[in-house]
Amino acid sequence: MSFVLDDSIEIKRTVYDSNTLQEKAHELGQQITGDYKGKELVIVGVIKGALYFFSDLTRAVDLPIMIDMIGFGNIPDTTKKTGAVKITKDINIDISGKHVIIAEDVIRTGLTTAYLTSYLESKGPADIAICTMFFNPDRLLIPIPVKYYGFEIDDSWLLGYGMDRNEIGRNLPYVAELPKKEQ
Amino acid sequence: MALITISRQSGSLGDELAEYLSERLACPMVTRDYALNNFFGDLPEGVTARLNESAKFFLNEIPGTGHTYRDVIIEKLNETADSYKDGDLIVLGLGGFYVLGGRKQAVNIRVFASEETRVSRIARKYNISSDEAASTLAIGDRKHKRFVSILYDKDTSSTDLYDLAFNSDSLSVEEMGAAVLSLCEKHDIRTSISETTRNDESIDHQSETPVFKNATEEEFARILNMYNIEWMYEPKTFPIEWDSEGNIKMAFSPDFYLPKFDLYLELTTMDQKYVTKKNKKLRMVKELYPGVNVKIVYKRDFQELVERLRAFGG
Repeated sequence: MSFVLDDSIEIKRTVYDSNTLQEKAHELGQQITGDYKGKELVIVGVIKGALYFFSDLTRAVDLPIMIDMIGFGNIPDTTKKTGAVKITKDINIDISGKHVIIAEDVIRTGLTTAYLTSYLESKGPADIAICTMFFNPDRLLIPIPVKYYGFEIDDSWLLGYGMDRNEIGRNLPYVAELPKKEQ
Repeated sequence: MALITISRQSGSLGDELAEYLSERLACPMVTRDYALNNFFGDLPEGVTARLNESAKFFLNEIPGTGHTYRDVIIEKLNETADSYKDGDLIVLGLGGFYVLGGRKQAVNIRVFASEETRVSRIARKYNISSDEAASTLAIGDRKHKRFVSILYDKDTSSTDLYDLAFNSDSLSVEEMGAAVLSLCEKHDIRTSISETTRNDESIDHQSETPVFKNATEEEFARILNMYNIEWMYEPKTFPIEWDSEGNIKMAFSPDFYLPKFDLYLELTTMDQKYVTKKNKKLRMVKELYPGVNVKIVYKRDFQELVERLRAFGG
């Protein structure tokens, strides 16, 4: 059974409800609390997708952490089909010598995460780990240090809890699956 | 691992560039002073001054050795480069490009600037008049030129002696340094790949420019560029089957190599029935070349990636 979110987006089914997501974020937060006790930790959320996960995760970490957010965008290039990825919002906290966790909503190919990791590495942190709510290891092209993940996913197209379709659907408190044929 | 030789005009910021690189790479720098103080042992009184004054004096035999000062410079530069072959080393002047420039890991730099700029820099640096600076410059240029010409029969102004030349008129030391470090990093990757082919059966066929076989490869290269992920196109071939005479019957040349991740990627746009053969090749590479990390990007993966980039931006 499917329903239509607005005129253009049809939702196939709900995959994870709000409670399941909250519980998983809490579980990950507790793991991080145990692993980083006594360490100087900065959690960096990737806007906009990780916004809700970042909010739930950081509140579940019972440590005196610092938080920041980073944004990137695909800047179109008129001469090329793909353009270039650029940092649109940089972090403001000095992460040199500190432990960093990048909080992502979803990791599939690992391309964007590799880009962000490489960028943050240039700022001299002690180490960088990755925490993502959704992870598709079968599609991972680039080896990246995914230390924590909430749910393993397949090739489904997902929406909600920060994930969007043409900027719509991020604020859904649950995660829904989109039909792939839907364009 | 970088071996950087720097040839420079007086007042061109070449000395400053060498110092900057030495500091950034935390590596030693061989200069003319270092050579005179360390290459020849205890020199009789007056010899150091003669070596400083006249390039021709380097052609004299060192008493009781059968070698000239020039021979010792060449020998010691090679010895020093050998001892730093697993680290970084900077050689400033001394005709380093001639003595060491042919080594695989060498990056040969030339720094020059307009006479006007150099006169102005020297006048400022030594607090002298422009006329005095111009005269100092003329003497310095003549000495540099004669040293290389007499010892190695080379003309320092020949651009074919260098991998990278800077006109420092409007460049800072940091700008030149960043370019040299970036070049060294990429050169190191190329030479490392060449080196690994010596230790196994693989073949180095890094090309100067990539010639993609199809539009998919070109698009994939654009995607990697978009994410600022460094790549090399088909840098290596892995032979995987030989006939009884040792001739290569089957080989595998992955399309892309990502140096940062030490990862080879093979794109396949073929139908599934043809992919089986590629999978077999991949398995054989993994068996014959343990430690080599290769992944296949299937047609479906690639299409999915492009669709996601269009729909979701990543």
